[in-house]
Formats: sequence, C-alpha cells, structure tokens
Amino acid sequence: MISTGNDIVALGSINKTRTCEPRFYSKILSAAEQELYYQLEFTTLPFENYVWLLWSVKESAFKYLQRNNHQLIFSPIKISVLTVDVHPYQHYSGSLQFGHHYLFFRSTITNDWISTVVNEEDDFEYIFNDVQAIEYDNRQYQSDAVRAFALDKLNAFFEGEFAIEKSESNYPILVKDAKRVNTPISLSHDGYFVAYSFNFNPTL
Amino acid sequence: MDRNAILNELKKVLTPYTENKELLNGITEETDLIKDLKINSANLVDIIIDAESAYNIEIDFDSAEKMYLVGNCIDVILDKMNQSA
Repeated sequence: MISTGNDIVALGSINKTRTCEPRFYSKILSAAEQELYYQLEFTTLPFENYVWLLWSVKESAFKYLQRNNHQLIFSPIKISVLTVDVHPYQHYSGSLQFGHHYLFFRSTITNDWISTVVNEEDDFEYIFNDVQAIEYDNRQYQSDAVRAFALDKLNAFFEGEFAIEKSESNYPILVKDAKRVNTPISLSHDGYFVAYSFNFNPTL
Repeated sequence: MDRNAILNELKKVLTPYTENKELLNGITEETDLIKDLKINSANLVDIIIDAESAYNIEIDFDSAEKMYLVGNCIDVILDKMNQSA
C-alpha cells in the first residue's frame, strides 16, 4: 500500500489550558501514550505540544490509511503511537499502529507549528514535504494557498502542468493532461500555515 | 428534549468552530461537520467536550467517532441523555 499522509498544527491556534485538561487529552491519548510522555529523553517538550504532536501523527496516519479504506472514520484513540524518538533541533520520529497496519512518522516542531508526515517504511527518501506561512487564515485562502504551494513544487519536478482535484472520498489527487497521476499527495492547513507531502516512490 | 431542540442547541456548540455562520442556519441532519461546515478536524475534540458540558453528558470514544454528521451527533446526545435520565 503506497500512500502519503501529513498534518500541520498551528501552535497559535491551540488552547494550552484546555489541552492540558485530562478530559481533553484523554480523548486523543491512550493511557499508554500518556505514560510515553514521561519516558521521553533529551527533551523539554511541553505536555500541550506533546498532545498536539501525537494528534498530528494520528491525523497524518488517518489520511495515509483513508486513501485505501474510504470508509475509515478518524478516531484518534484507535490509532496507537508506539514509540517517540527525540532528535536534535525539535525533530521527532517514531512508529504507530492501527489494526494490523504499522506506520512510521517524522515530525518537526517550531515555535509556530508542528508538522508531521507518515510512511509505511521507516525510510523517507521518496517522501517530500514542506511547510509555508500564509497571509490569511480563512478556509478558502488556506485551501488555495496549499494547492499553489504544492503545485509550485511539483511543476519544478516534472514537465507539464499538474492540477489537484478531489476524489469522491474527499482526498486530494494529482491530475496531469486530464489523467490521474499515481503520485499520492496529502495537503493540510491550520491557522496561518499550510503543508504538503508527496510520495515519489519509483515503483509507482 | 426532542431532536429539533437538540439541533438548535447544537448550532450554538458549533458556532465558535464554524467560519461561515450562514452555513449553520441551513444545517440538516445530513450536514457533515468537516465536509459541509468546513470545521477544522482539530476542533472535533473541542466540540465533543462542549457538547458534554451543554447537555451534561459524557461521550465515550465509540460514540465520539460517530459524530461526523449532525444527525449522528443528535443520536449520540439523545442516547447519552436517556442513559443519564
């Protein structure tokens, strides 16, 4: 199953107080995931950022899996983050499970956002993802901006003009010369930030 | 409380998370919170917690994952209200 899934969380949009209330975070994190926070080494990651880090991992995984299971409904507590490894400069990686599916993630946290991308292999050589700040935070602007951002990158990679359309199940698909392209693409936006991921696996 | 009364109360819960307030006036039981109302998925937990407070109920994980259509939300809220009655 080759797919891609990404997510971005604008840290300016989160309610830190509410995030740290058990009735909030317990709807996102399992007991094991709450325990995992206290086992993280070499990090001063605030708990509210940990909650939204795992949210972004779970949302990315949902997008990855939904491409091949259109009936899937996002239920964060049913996606289990198994490991979280801390790397220099606020980079994180780890693994997760949903049913019999195992996926891997890479995340970056800045002062302004958390960005995550997931993949079926713990090898992100063919995964391209990036984040961009935007001027306005209304939904239409975000949607237009993330498409323009992703298409700029794609058109730099390939000849011809790409377009992004929506599948019947509401996930984005790439189209070139009126034909669907097999490269999976994922788009996300939150607040004043947009992000994309592509999977350029050569076996596609 | 009947379905119509819950729907009216639910509009108040959804208001802070809906950018286009006019869309709320036209919602039906078939309205999808994310696809139709364009609610950010990151706000779904907020909506569940606000609904718990508004109706004095507790919404478990299995019920929460059904709350993607307005009609499903009303089903879950009615069910939980009946359980706590």
